[in-house]
Amino acid sequence: MVCMLLTVVLLAACSGPQEGSTQATQQPKKELTFLFNFASQTVDPGLDYTPLRAGVVETLVKLDENVKIQPWLATQWSSKDGQNWEFQIRDGVTFQNGKKLTAETVKQSLERSIELNPGVKQVLRIKSMKASGQTLHVVTEEPFPQFPSELVHPNTAILDTEAADPDKKPIGTGPFQVESFTAGTSLKLTRYDAYWSGAAKLDRAVFAFNEDANARLSAILSGDADIVYRPPVESMDKMKQDNQLKLDSVVSLRTHELIFSTKRPLFQNANLRKAFDALVNREELKDAIMGGQATVAQGPFLPDFPFVPEYPTRKTGAEEALKWFKEAGFQVDNGKVTQNGKPLTLKLVTYASRAEFPIFSQALQSEAKQLGITLQIEQVENYEDYLMNDTTWDLGMYSPLIAPRGDASYFLNVSFLPDGTLNYGKINDESLNKLIYQLDQTVDTAKRNELISQALTRIHEQTYYSYLVHPNTLVVYKDRVKNWVTSKSEYYMLTNQLDVEAK
Amino acid sequence: MIQMLGKRLIEFFLFIFLLSLISFAGIKLAPGDAVRLLLRVDDVAVTNEQVEIQREIMGLNEPVIVQYGEWLSKFIRLDLGASYMTHRPVVEEIWTRMPATLLLTFTSIVVLVGVAVPLGACSALYPKKWIDRVSRVLAIMGASIPSFWLGLLLIEGFSVRWSIFPAMGNGTLMHLVLPSLTLGLTMAAVYVRLIRSSLLNSLSQDFILGARSRGIGRQRIFWLHACRHSLTPVVTMFGVSVGNLLGGSVVVETIFAYPGLGKFIVEAIHNRDYPMIQGYILFMGAVIMLLHVMTDVTVGYVNPEIRLKEGGH
Repeated sequence: MVCMLLTVVLLAACSGPQEGSTQATQQPKKELTFLFNFASQTVDPGLDYTPLRAGVVETLVKLDENVKIQPWLATQWSSKDGQNWEFQIRDGVTFQNGKKLTAETVKQSLERSIELNPGVKQVLRIKSMKASGQTLHVVTEEPFPQFPSELVHPNTAILDTEAADPDKKPIGTGPFQVESFTAGTSLKLTRYDAYWSGAAKLDRAVFAFNEDANARLSAILSGDADIVYRPPVESMDKMKQDNQLKLDSVVSLRTHELIFSTKRPLFQNANLRKAFDALVNREELKDAIMGGQATVAQGPFLPDFPFVPEYPTRKTGAEEALKWFKEAGFQVDNGKVTQNGKPLTLKLVTYASRAEFPIFSQALQSEAKQLGITLQIEQVENYEDYLMNDTTWDLGMYSPLIAPRGDASYFLNVSFLPDGTLNYGKINDESLNKLIYQLDQTVDTAKRNELISQALTRIHEQTYYSYLVHPNTLVVYKDRVKNWVTSKSEYYMLTNQLDVEAK
Repeated sequence: MIQMLGKRLIEFFLFIFLLSLISFAGIKLAPGDAVRLLLRVDDVAVTNEQVEIQREIMGLNEPVIVQYGEWLSKFIRLDLGASYMTHRPVVEEIWTRMPATLLLTFTSIVVLVGVAVPLGACSALYPKKWIDRVSRVLAIMGASIPSFWLGLLLIEGFSVRWSIFPAMGNGTLMHLVLPSLTLGLTMAAVYVRLIRSSLLNSLSQDFILGARSRGIGRQRIFWLHACRHSLTPVVTMFGVSVGNLLGGSVVVETIFAYPGLGKFIVEAIHNRDYPMIQGYILFMGAVIMLLHVMTDVTVGYVNPEIRLKEGGH
């Protein structure tokens, strides 16, 4: 014990000043530590989102708080046919090494990302690029009306491709430049004084990572962090009671959903899907299981998107579910459902990384049991591969990003087209497919919105999925932090406006 | 000597070859691969056909034996490939994380030795006295507390309440204190009991009784003879513990956001980063093999009886 104490004392004596706290007292610099819930092993902008989130690099366009695309490093763009595009690159922007941002540097950066990351190649689908001055001409492989919104993707962020060590010290155009990066632990940043939109209010910032929710909460309570992303929801009361902390809860662009496997003959019956949709208790999921940190979903998209139709009100509960079971051809006696005189047994699959799903599965299992239906819950590893390849499951929980770049075509393409990578339920609806193909070729925004609206109406009528809730993003921060904005897209975190009061 | 060294080297290469074959087959036969993650299907509109094309490009549709052959031919040229996640060479990824892991291993061992040796020795010297009872309670507590909970308790006490040590991160020696205490104390619990029982066993040996009858002092008998004799099981287990620590501690690295190998490898496994997993398995295989040899040599040194027996064979 004596040896241990001696070691501790020795370590304490040998160590330098604790970063963040002691330095601030020596020199009144504005510093802030932001703690995120996923760790980055690289900060190459072509592979990782952290450089964009940390304000090191920027994309040509960005999403605003209404999930609409806005100019960023590109000031304007145009295309007559949806295939030949012209982007004006912002003048007067420099990289953090002083080099001027031109259409040529943008071209080089996009080419690098496409070569490095097969996902970027798929997201951009660029056939050729030509740069002249501040104008970038882009030709896509085919008409691609949503091309500008795809440039919101963090891996398309612009960096100086000629600078050394882009995976450790990328040189971008953002308000913060990289001081050092320790994989899996933290990214240390300093202000870039010549930032084109006005130098950051902070002198330094640390973008740190910790994947344990309780440890993140401890970090803000101990003073090791100023802003914590996704603190534990179960500690809401503790955080609310602390008058030095502020909580921000913003609805995200994800939607929790219940998937019906149409590979199974039973779930090719729309009325059975409607029966389970009626059985789902969304309020319970929102309030009792997610601590109120969610919004009840009517469809896949939040109602403030311009293309969301007026959904007819649907009744829910056991009575309504029984009605649909009867419509689906099942026998209903004394409130119990049977099929050809036998009780119904189905397999519901879920996964552990979203803590609410296993609990919600149990809640649904309990609701089904009231009707004499057995739901066998299975928690699965390698969940997406399992959903895609296994043919024995009937229902599954999932939480896709619905509009990662503000446009609906991503979600419709991947979730409903027969070859879509998130079409786990193997949906193949001719009329819906036709609408999506038509959408992919349509440039005019009003026409696109109309097509999306029609597709969403069809999805609602057929109840291909049961949409449950839109989960909130919870952020806790110290009251000395100023101008923090919780972005719906989860792309923009450290900005030039973010500020702290001196300690 | 040269013959023994040659034998050990042949054993080593045979072990590495078999390990690489078994681990490669194990990784490849597990369901799933990295392609969906690489194509970012979570937020990029790709089709299953494009996923298949990417699989072809990466050679993942080839028979496992063909993939192994390709990997082996590169490995022979000392090329372990690059991580799918970071695109950096596997060797570089392991190398950059090793200093932090080594440092945490060292400091955890300091805590382990600092706690386990005095407590275990005192328990054996004064059996059924208060110190023995206290150490027994501490050992049971240490063995019962999961490391993640101990880590959170230490953060709550030393960071949140008393603001002595940072709750997470790295960069200064202060950052090492809480992770080292968490790992060291958790392991020490087992060692306290092991040292105690091993020492008690040594103290009851005939050669100790003989030494006592020759009038050798109690302290001399304890430190010079009993301690040395009791080290065999402790050193053997110590080799295993060092191997575990060098492999990285996922829980502690996660809670304290410590940049070691463990968390990174778990992420690699989760993402099916085959080159990284395979490289790590081989690296750890080599480390364990080396530790095994070092443990054998140390045991032979501290316990001449074993050395003589082995020599007899």
